[in-house]
Amino acid sequence: MSTAVRAASTSPPTSKVPEPSRSRFRLTFPGALMAPGISILALLSIIPFLTLIVMSFSRVRLLGGLQLDWVGLDNWTRVLQDMDMWASWWRTAIYLVATLGLEMLLGVGIALLLHRVVRGRGLLLSLVLLPMFVAPVIVGLLGRYLTDSTFGLYSWALGKLGYEGDILGGSASALTAVILMDVWEWTPLIAMITLAGLTGVSPSVLEAASLDGAGYWQTLRHVVFPSITGILLVAFLIRAMDAVRYYDIITVTTNGGPADATKTVPIRLFETAFRFFDLGYAAAIGLMMLVVTILISKGFVAVLQRKV
Amino acid sequence: MPKLGAGEDVWRRFAGTRINFISENTAPTAAIAANLAPFEKLTGIKVNIVNLELSALVQRVALDMASGDAQYQVIYADPYQVLAPYSKGLADLREFIGKDGYPELEGGLDDFIETQLKAAGQFAAEEPVYALPYDCPTMIWQYRADLFEKYREPMEQDLGFDPTPGAERTWDEYYEIARWFNENVNEVAYGTGQQAKQHDSLMCDFSNLLWSYGGDYFENGQELGLLGVEEPGACQLGSDEAVAAATLYDKLVKVAHPASATWDWDGVGAALRAGEIAMCPNWHEFAASNETSLPGKVDYAPLPRGPARSSDHYGGCGIGIADNAKGAVRGAAWLFVNWATSPEVQLSNLKSKAGGGTPTRTSVYDRAEVKEAEQRPTELPNMLTGPAVRTAWQPDNIGLRPKIPMWNACDTAIFTGLSKMIAGQDDAESTMADIAERIDGIVERGWVA
Repeated sequence: MSTAVRAASTSPPTSKVPEPSRSRFRLTFPGALMAPGISILALLSIIPFLTLIVMSFSRVRLLGGLQLDWVGLDNWTRVLQDMDMWASWWRTAIYLVATLGLEMLLGVGIALLLHRVVRGRGLLLSLVLLPMFVAPVIVGLLGRYLTDSTFGLYSWALGKLGYEGDILGGSASALTAVILMDVWEWTPLIAMITLAGLTGVSPSVLEAASLDGAGYWQTLRHVVFPSITGILLVAFLIRAMDAVRYYDIITVTTNGGPADATKTVPIRLFETAFRFFDLGYAAAIGLMMLVVTILISKGFVAVLQRKV
Repeated sequence: MPKLGAGEDVWRRFAGTRINFISENTAPTAAIAANLAPFEKLTGIKVNIVNLELSALVQRVALDMASGDAQYQVIYADPYQVLAPYSKGLADLREFIGKDGYPELEGGLDDFIETQLKAAGQFAAEEPVYALPYDCPTMIWQYRADLFEKYREPMEQDLGFDPTPGAERTWDEYYEIARWFNENVNEVAYGTGQQAKQHDSLMCDFSNLLWSYGGDYFENGQELGLLGVEEPGACQLGSDEAVAAATLYDKLVKVAHPASATWDWDGVGAALRAGEIAMCPNWHEFAASNETSLPGKVDYAPLPRGPARSSDHYGGCGIGIADNAKGAVRGAAWLFVNWATSPEVQLSNLKSKAGGGTPTRTSVYDRAEVKEAEQRPTELPNMLTGPAVRTAWQPDNIGLRPKIPMWNACDTAIFTGLSKMIAGQDDAESTMADIAERIDGIVERGWVA
């Protein structure tokens, strides 16, 4: 923190050489102003983060107070060799690609439709945004009831179409169901962000394209999408980071089943930490998730920087 | 610890204290929560009850024990998820039982059903008592008596045996009965429902067959289920008996209601009450709600037998005291544990409209009004299961899962493997072998509390 601590070499020249121990750690005025904030950040974030790193190299004992027994790289070796863990990563990747793909497709489509609406857009937008304001756990419960094979509306409708299985009871259908629940809840967010981007596209550019004889699809492809790429990438980034951590709906509906079909990494992490109390191993999984999330976000930011 | 004054009532020794009781959201706790006034009047102790789903309870108890400062003084000690892994964090109740300065434990420890006291109250050694049996859900055969009565003759003619449910029926016959209902009866959608969700319930459901076929999770399974051990040895699920049990279970789920793969015990209970299924294995404490929804139509029997025996899964829990609780709250916690497991309170729970549960003391079952309640009409509907559960709790019939500290991880390996088998990803033999290998790995890593 260069603003927090003034190094001896940047101090104004004086006739006497100051005592290093006193001048090196003297807080500047801006540093003093930032110190409370940094202390709180350290307390809430940095210290737990460092603790998590230490835990990932330890076996954690709870009884009689927290104790960490150093085990070296054991937890990290285990997490890298655990085939169940890699299967969970694979499911998380499927989930990430499917939810993001569908949400972007539907969200952009809905935004384009709403953008063309002149009268009643506010009302329509409010209706479209409603799912986003429902707590994910409630979405999960709603989904569970709607897909229940004894009284669920969706099960009944699918039954009429000839589907005989139980939606949350089959491996493929359960994964599809939780993906669609996420899509239902978060497509409105993409629609809202995209709509904000669309309203920012300069009318004069659209008018010029129109005068040049560009049709609707040509205008979309060559004018509108290039103008909103940045904002779409931000929406993509937000949802991608969320999707890696997706937990609520799965835990309420399938809790990872059937046959582990919906056991994504966050579900496995929770299970390891708070069901098995294997906290050292859970710390390694958590840090692995953090690294993946950072890599995803860095990837998006790199693309974004190239576009801007 | 406050001294007992001369002539002072032992129940009033800790008056003015406030304690917290953390419990799974079970029927007995609902009944006790609705009727705390008598305890508070008797002792002057205030009790705050925290009701949670079991996995949330285990998390809070573990973290509370790690803190070293017992925020929860009275703990609902599930034998497999709390008692076995955290027995060192629970007080040995012999510190209070029969000691001066504390009220007598009415009837003594001998009044508790013996198998339940060991399974729910002790761990790894005969002497220490970490919890007193508090509830005793046990899996029994729950069936639509009206439909069995109506179709008994044609069923008997078609199947070639008397289909009346009971411990003399076999699991193969149970399977045949389920199929017969699927094909011949319109009043219900399916013959049987199973609690085959990828959840603890799947392990519970399968275990009944495993034990009845003579298989077990570890060597000396029954002994291991009663007292428990820290290191159980090699997993026995690769045995022929276990494979035979898994084969039949897979077959059974295939003819069960398709939603079975999404049902835990609540789901299967709701399906029976909704008229979706004709029968199911489920915890006996569902009897009260069955009687409300289908008055007079549901009856109960011990589960069918396999080649070895009839086995009924016991899932009872005890209540104990956090060892970190010190001073007056420790004594107050004991007064609550003593009161909450007393015969009078167990009888009152049985009558409660708020919850229920069934007693864990023999003296309560011996009372005339409780015995009478085993027949309809009854004011104590859970007692309709009395004859079935008394048979189930016999040492030869009780089914006990292994009481080992690393059970949660083993349990997950079991129900995940079974869920894959049911989904058709694996056959019974490779499922059992895979689960056994995983359990051996978990046991080898050991448990660090």
